[in-house]
Amino acid sequence: MHVIKYYAFVFSILFSGLLPLESSAIDVITHSEVKDTSLTSLQLRRIFTMRQSRWSDNTPISIFVLPSQHDIHQRFSKEHLKIFSYQLNRIWHKLTYSGLGVAPTIVQSEQELVQAVINTPGAIGYLHDTELIKNWQLPTNAIKEQPVNFEGAKVDQNTVAEDDNVDIHTKGVVNVIQVYL
Amino acid sequence: MLSRFTFKRRNLLLNNKLFIIAFFFSVNVVASNTSVNDSKRFKLHGFVSQGIIDADDSNFVNDNGKPSAELTEVGLNATYQLTESLRVAGQIVYLDGGNRYAKGARVDYALLDWTAFNNEKWQANIYVGRFKNNHWLYSSSRDVPFARPSVILPQSIYFDGLRDISVGSDGVASKVSYNLAKYGDLDWQISYGVSPISTKQVTNLLSEFAQGSANQEYDAQTSLYWHPELSAWRFGISLLDSKFAYKQANTSNESLLFDSDFTFQFYTLNALYEGEVWEFSAEFYQQRFMMDGFYSTTFKLDNIGQGFYLQTRYKLSQRLTLLARYEDFYLDKEDKKGQQLAQNSNGSIPYYFGFHQDTTLGLHYDITSNFAVRAEYHWVKGAGRLSPIALPNTVLNNSEAWQMWAVQLMYWF
Repeated sequence: MHVIKYYAFVFSILFSGLLPLESSAIDVITHSEVKDTSLTSLQLRRIFTMRQSRWSDNTPISIFVLPSQHDIHQRFSKEHLKIFSYQLNRIWHKLTYSGLGVAPTIVQSEQELVQAVINTPGAIGYLHDTELIKNWQLPTNAIKEQPVNFEGAKVDQNTVAEDDNVDIHTKGVVNVIQVYL
Repeated sequence: MLSRFTFKRRNLLLNNKLFIIAFFFSVNVVASNTSVNDSKRFKLHGFVSQGIIDADDSNFVNDNGKPSAELTEVGLNATYQLTESLRVAGQIVYLDGGNRYAKGARVDYALLDWTAFNNEKWQANIYVGRFKNNHWLYSSSRDVPFARPSVILPQSIYFDGLRDISVGSDGVASKVSYNLAKYGDLDWQISYGVSPISTKQVTNLLSEFAQGSANQEYDAQTSLYWHPELSAWRFGISLLDSKFAYKQANTSNESLLFDSDFTFQFYTLNALYEGEVWEFSAEFYQQRFMMDGFYSTTFKLDNIGQGFYLQTRYKLSQRLTLLARYEDFYLDKEDKKGQQLAQNSNGSIPYYFGFHQDTTLGLHYDITSNFAVRAEYHWVKGAGRLSPIALPNTVLNNSEAWQMWAVQLMYWF
């Protein structure tokens, strides 16, 4: 009985640590040169289901996502795209393995995802916001590729947290896109 | 001596399979090392799967009814963006399904994709070359294990005996999508082409006695799908019209079968519901099959067959999915129980060759994001979807009820 109580305690400690992370938001990010600073949720869904392949200035969109079983990916599809990740998989598999089209590029970690969005013009991806802050301290090689203003970006991020209606357009690493209903 | 030879031959086949799998993984390593910038233009993907399948009391997989490893599917595809609106893509697949279809490697698709139109409302693509049939719910992904719902698809619509001619065509196809704003999306597809017909396909379709050659004159298809905005539902309709010709062999020993024309028309209606844990799909279809010749110079046949399947999937967890499906099909709507078929053949073809019913239960487990295992059991009644079609094998298929199970491991990148 003692043992069970002990494990229950350990588990509750472990999961209480995870909870704030679980409930925090996921941000949509784009390459710093992408001109669109906001998207409607319909546009966002059309982009990730490969129905819209160009930005408003007609430049091509490159999409980066995490593996389908990744928690952040599961949450992003459900909360932002309003469809389930298995549905996205089906659309992408159909395009990829029947020759009809091209599906997003899958990267293995959030760190890789930020780097891909930084390095690819026209890129769009998503990120857990606390992770995003963490990833601003990127390895030096990533920073070298494109000089960035970390301080400025951080300030912008804080502004978002205070007021959701502010249009955010960071100068530097990536843009955080405002998504409207 | 003979057994040694068979052993050697088997070994060779096994080595072949291993070679294909080894090649697949080496390509996979190359692909994973491609940098992000290259991946914008060039993409490499593939899949490999191996399973065990056992069909008792039928020749569906093999002739001896023993469990078999003839359940191998390997594919490798590449796409390259030539310009902003032009793309080339191709896929090679290696398939081994026992008696189900011709074994070996083949070019699955090889096409040029032109994005003719692309704005917020419209998307129009034209495909030239060898393209996949994209008109039915699972027709384009029937060889891609993780992209179809079960190891064995409902045979009445995705009949393996007709796989090579229904999987795709050489010709031209187009896909036009239109966004109706709050009413959702419309996808309209049209295709026209011919499919090459292999010797194995002729055997599957007609019989081993058919020594002549068959060719497809044309295959014209169109389909329309409607996906209401923010709805879990999707609805579709498809139409197919195709024509084949058989030319008898110029040898004296083929006096049994004659020059003939075959017309095959196929109409389907489908609905799909994709919820968070429940999923439902159904396809209803009618086929018209016309024959002119073949058994004799004056023989004529005009049959209307009908069928449907209802399928549900339940996601027990993020990784584990259960499947249940019921399928019912008869070759002639005027003869649903096959009595007429038996009578017309003077009893040489049993009544149960006139229909096909299959109840399936299965499960799918995602081990990782690109590695999964699947298992299923089929209870089948009838031999209406067993090859060959024209001259049925009543010796091996001597039972109205037969069962089948399969387990398959699959990996993709």
